Amino acid sequence: MADLRTYTIIYVLLLVLGTGKFVFFEFDFAYSIAIGGTILLAVAKIGLIAAYYQHLIEEPRSITYMMATAVFMVFLLTIAAGYSIQ
Amino acid sequence: MADLPPMTTVKRWLVTTNHKDVGILYIATAIFFLLLGGAMALIFRIQLWEPGGVGILSGNEFNQAVTTHGLLMVFWFLSPIASGFANYLVPLQIGAKDLAFPRMNALSYWFYLFSGVLLIISFFQQGTFAGGWTMYAPLNVPTYTPAMEATTGGNAVILGLMLFVISITIGTVNFLVTIHRSRAEGLGLWNMPMFTWSWLLTVWMMLFAFAALLAALLLLVSDRVLLTQYFATDQGSSLLWAHLFWFFGHPEVYIVFFPALGIMFETFQTFTGRRLVGRKWVIIAMVLVAVQSFLVWMHHMFLTTINLEIKTLMMATTIGISLPFDLMVFALIYTMVKGRVRFTTPFLFSLGALVLFILGGITGVFLGAVVLDYEFRGTYWVVAHFHYVMVSGVTALVAGLYYWWPKITGKMYSETLGKLNFAVYFIGFNMLYFPMFLAWETPRRVFHFAEGAQTYHQVATVGAFILGASFLIMILTFAKSWVSGPEAPDNPWEFSRTAEWAIPSPPPLENWDGRPSYASGRLEFVEDSPAATDGGVAHGQGNQAEAGIEHEEEHADHASIWPFGIGVGTFVFFLGLSGLTPYIVDFAEGTPNPPEGLTTVPEPSMLYPILTVLGIGIMGVTLYKFGMEDFEVPEMNIAERWPFGGVGNTKFGVWVFLASDVVVFGAIIGAYVFMRIHMGWHEWTTVPFASWPGLLNTYVLLTSSFTVILALVMAERKSKKGLLGAMTATLLLGLTFMGVKAYEYSVKFADGEYWWYGLEYSIYYVTTGLHALHVILGLFIAVFMIYRIISVDAYLEDHRPVEFFGLYWHFVDIVWVLLFPLFYLM
Ligand code: HEM
Ligand SMILES: [Cu+2]
Repeated sequence: MADLRTYTIIYVLLLVLGTGKFVFFEFDFAYSIAIGGTILLAVAKIGLIAAYYQHLIEEPRSITYMMATAVFMVFLLTIAAGYSIQ
Repeated sequence: MADLPPMTTVKRWLVTTNHKDVGILYIATAIFFLLLGGAMALIFRIQLWEPGGVGILSGNEFNQAVTTHGLLMVFWFLSPIASGFANYLVPLQIGAKDLAFPRMNALSYWFYLFSGVLLIISFFQQGTFAGGWTMYAPLNVPTYTPAMEATTGGNAVILGLMLFVISITIGTVNFLVTIHRSRAEGLGLWNMPMFTWSWLLTVWMMLFAFAALLAALLLLVSDRVLLTQYFATDQGSSLLWAHLFWFFGHPEVYIVFFPALGIMFETFQTFTGRRLVGRKWVIIAMVLVAVQSFLVWMHHMFLTTINLEIKTLMMATTIGISLPFDLMVFALIYTMVKGRVRFTTPFLFSLGALVLFILGGITGVFLGAVVLDYEFRGTYWVVAHFHYVMVSGVTALVAGLYYWWPKITGKMYSETLGKLNFAVYFIGFNMLYFPMFLAWETPRRVFHFAEGAQTYHQVATVGAFILGASFLIMILTFAKSWVSGPEAPDNPWEFSRTAEWAIPSPPPLENWDGRPSYASGRLEFVEDSPAATDGGVAHGQGNQAEAGIEHEEEHADHASIWPFGIGVGTFVFFLGLSGLTPYIVDFAEGTPNPPEGLTTVPEPSMLYPILTVLGIGIMGVTLYKFGMEDFEVPEMNIAERWPFGGVGNTKFGVWVFLASDVVVFGAIIGAYVFMRIHMGWHEWTTVPFASWPGLLNTYVLLTSSFTVILALVMAERKSKKGLLGAMTATLLLGLTFMGVKAYEYSVKFADGEYWWYGLEYSIYYVTTGLHALHVILGLFIAVFMIYRIISVDAYLEDHRPVEFFGLYWHFVDIVWVLLFPLFYLM
């Protein structure tokens, strides 16, 4: 387990990243930049939560691979289905 | 805990958690549903005697019979009977004493049984679901099927299926943890028996595929009960269903076939006296198929409006998936050629299965070609194809019944009767299904067909009765064996090699006296003295810590009534839900903007809300009791655990569950993306009245994630005060989140904008609602844990439950990370 300090830093980071998404859309950014930026922020947030709060970094890598497979399935379904109606 | 009552009492079967008992329950129940599904088939085969029907069924009754036949066979018979075999045999084949979570195993059985009871009850709720086993949209929602007024019965079927999927999910988690973490010393994955291999791949496919089905069913139930609009619009609804259903559905056809394949491999080895030719390549081929099965689903959508590029791609992947199958078929044939065949009943059935599968596979390749499918789609060619493949699977499963019958019952059966059974079965099968190829121009699911096809259909109907009779012979054979068959030895088959044949028939409650081990290269039973265990640490992985402690006291519980209780509660609850639609309709009609096109729904009946509340009550009590029960399940000291050594069983189980939940939520978020793309990304209406509540809730939820982590740190420091404080803070933050959510919803309701107001509204309410449901479930767990901390100082010695709760809670937080931008910002 990481120590309390690490957890606190991550908490603050998460708050900042969460606010970032809001900023992208509330202030005058181009829609595509806002979307792209938000996706990046969301990925960063999810990565931090999974890696540290769910401490995936300390578990055997196989768990991460399993979760990555699940995420892959979702992307596969969504992207292929989305593409099929282009 | 109470010990297990004897097998002759009813109580035994209600409380048992033992894998062999549960296996028997699964097999017996599955055969019951086989007979029920078979009865449906016989009834509509009679109707098909003449073009236009002989009049024993009305149009709607015909649809009901065809629909429930398909649902029963695919869901309530095929997978569960395989589950039964797996329950009984997988622990034996890998050298374990039971599954990793025995009570969960009992729970999945009860969910399975009660899900089937829901389906049976649906017949008596003014008729059951009649929209086909594929439940295509928009025929699956009442709005578009005024001819099918059986809203309540239809709901019960869909809810029953949902309960079935929940049962499968629990079983999946259990088997993945068991097979990956409870293999006897020296039993690497490569050396696992073929049946266990096929089941391992089956459950991996189930994990991802059934999660997609669960997502689809959740949306469908929401449409049917709450009147949302996912599948009722002309804006992509039917494509959405087809994608979700077939993303599950194609893997599903391998899910039902793999266990059968495993049985074929086992029986071919045993009755040819030869190791499977190219065993390693066969395993690789199976892994390939399992992966590829997720890449072909749109071959079921060649006649929809999806574009030609993706159809062509799916045609290619479909051809690709038949290649590994060819390898498996040839491996079986070579094994037979090289070995010396003993034509016992199980072998005959397995060989029959192979022959039928080859025919079914070849006809499937026709369907995989886009141009040919334009002709074949929706005809009896498809019906013939998939019966050849699926019922080939059934054939192998019958082989499994004969093969393991002596092990399970301790009695031999009559080979003469068995062979007679096979002969009748094989003749009946081909008489029933082969004419369907010839009558291929008949449209499926309709009883009107060209006069010229009448002879074929009549032969098929006669075949159906012959096939049905063969099952009676089977039951007779087994009954006779049970009553007066000779005792079976430990191993009645000369060349069987798997571990279940090395112990008595039937095996004792805890399977082995000593500890099974393959460390020397072959199966041995070793006696561990505590000292020897210390010395044995070098073997296996991740067992150093536990080795040698409390060796003598090791005691396992086998009895709990609470899985059954939870099953009853959930059943009552789901039955209650099935009849709530009329109330929602009443309510909706009182709002400013009621949904359009509501057709006649049944009169509200007070029974259903009462059942709903009662069910929640029973669930609450039984879940609490389940949580409080002291149930010992020792983890194996020495075991092979690749590649999941280094995490405990429960933690791995939680992760597997989360993996399936990722797909459930992901598919629902995917539904949002799909519908928005279909609509035109920028045409979308943002539903929440402002984005600040979303941002606020983001802060709230992130903070609660932090307090959960804090709780874990406090538990590790053994600070009761800190733990209590952090958990209480989490609870309060969760409640705050729900409060903000409620406010947000109420603003919309005040404007009369409910979930039926438009597609965007449905999607917004359902997705955020499902997330809120996850929060609420988390809060219940939090309350339970706080109660335990206060009452018995829980989690200070063993803080793992706090960690597991955290894993779940952070997952809920992660989902919100996505929902916030999707619904509030974009
Ligand atoms: C060589 C392998 C296979 C190929 C190439 C193949 C191909 C296909 C295709 C293209 C369809 C869609 C036909 C249509 O609706 O127009 C189909 C339907 C079907 N297949 Fe297969 N298949 C194969 C093996 C299997 C197996 C092993 C099973 C089950 C054990 C199976 C079960 C089904 C079912 C149930 C349907 C009908 C679904 C429905 O519309 O109700 N198939 N197959
Ligand atoms: Cu398919």
